[in-house]
Amino acid sequence: MKLGIIDLETGNLGSLKSAINKLNIKHSICKKKFDFEGIDRIILPGVGAFGDFMEKLEKSDLKNLLIDKIQKKVPILGICVGFQVLFSESYEHGVNKGLNIIKGQLKNLKDENLNIKVPHVGWNECKLLKDCKLFYGIKDYSDFYFTHSYFVKNFDEKIVISETEYGTKIVSVINQENIYGVQFHPEKSQLNGLQVLKNFNERC
Amino acid sequence: MLKKRLIIVLTFLDGVLFRTKNFIPDYRYTKNFIDLWSIDELILIDISKKKFNKEFLDVVFYFSNNCFVPISVGGGIKNIKDADLYFQMGADKIVLGSNSIINENLIKDVSLKYGNQSIIQTLDCKKIDTKKIDYRLTKNSGKEITNIDPLNFAQKVEKIGVGEILINSVDNDGGLLGYDLELIKIISNSVNCPIIALGGAGNWQHILDLFFNTNISAACTQNIFHFTEQSISSAKSFLKKNNIIIRN
Repeated sequence: MKLGIIDLETGNLGSLKSAINKLNIKHSICKKKFDFEGIDRIILPGVGAFGDFMEKLEKSDLKNLLIDKIQKKVPILGICVGFQVLFSESYEHGVNKGLNIIKGQLKNLKDENLNIKVPHVGWNECKLLKDCKLFYGIKDYSDFYFTHSYFVKNFDEKIVISETEYGTKIVSVINQENIYGVQFHPEKSQLNGLQVLKNFNERC
Repeated sequence: MLKKRLIIVLTFLDGVLFRTKNFIPDYRYTKNFIDLWSIDELILIDISKKKFNKEFLDVVFYFSNNCFVPISVGGGIKNIKDADLYFQMGADKIVLGSNSIINENLIKDVSLKYGNQSIIQTLDCKKIDTKKIDYRLTKNSGKEITNIDPLNFAQKVEKIGVGEILINSVDNDGGLLGYDLELIKIISNSVNCPIIALGGAGNWQHILDLFFNTNISAACTQNIFHFTEQSISSAKSFLKKNNIIIRN
């Protein structure tokens, strides 16, 4: 068993690497096709803008490889922007197509007239709507660290594992077969976050 | 519900934890003394003459490997390369100071590469008339007073693209007499991004007053006596008893 962490060099992987190291999980950093040999589990971390992220995915030739792995039922965990790109499209800096593996659109919280501060930054609760292997051993309403301005709309309710209240209901965790995604940063969410990463590696 | 945050700010001189008032610098305090599981976030600031020194970068690397909360790093960031260096050492966000006043492209460059959410812009504010609500931004850690109105500047940097704004009261800093609520309210009510406050916390009641009277997102403290041993968790239970929504 070996975990691959995709590195598109769009942001900082340091925190994720140190969390994975803390858990003693065998892993390698995947920057190009060749790096995926022997990988049977993938984390798609994401920092930065949606459009940039998708552009880097295409340029690095990893987009099709990723879609292929997902179709072959390799477990994948998308984090933050890595979670957002699993959906159809985003309205961040114009309209940008995502991987379109899951139906849904990313819209800016600012445009919803919710009387909230944007971005959504800080510790917020995940209300569990369903059991999920990713949340094994984690209590309902546990706190995780969020930092984002865009949230999912027009999605299929069946995929939602947890939602988070911030002016509106924000989809915070999804699961569809081998595809997992979290809007928060597990690598910055102390014990609960480490448990999510451990669960993904051991149970998903 | 989104929780209010308690953030610890640590300043370093050549890699050693440093406080100007009531505190003798000591290597033993530098690492491993903080209750790493109770804090919500950490800000590390280098105040050394020679910035980007190995000692401070080691401190950043140490904390990023040992506490799994967001870490923001600041001190001397003039361009994207400086920011890159802190991110490489494990920073999740960077803290910009008066260099954003001099170079407006700084915020733009960092936000294009790392996103708005990765930038905290500090406003070092000084009251210029004790009888009126009139503040000015300062440069060089409060030493140089500019003509810039903090609110105008806050609105401007929000537009350019910062994730959070840190309001520091130069007058109240180190005084332990409470935060400057007037200043914080003026800015916090007029910008849409999360605001965090620094400067003046002397006891838990000051933090409660801040949360109670403003719509601030986070309170910072850099008083050494506030984060030794069980202090943070006791602060949190005090705030909770007073109906502030805060993480355990």
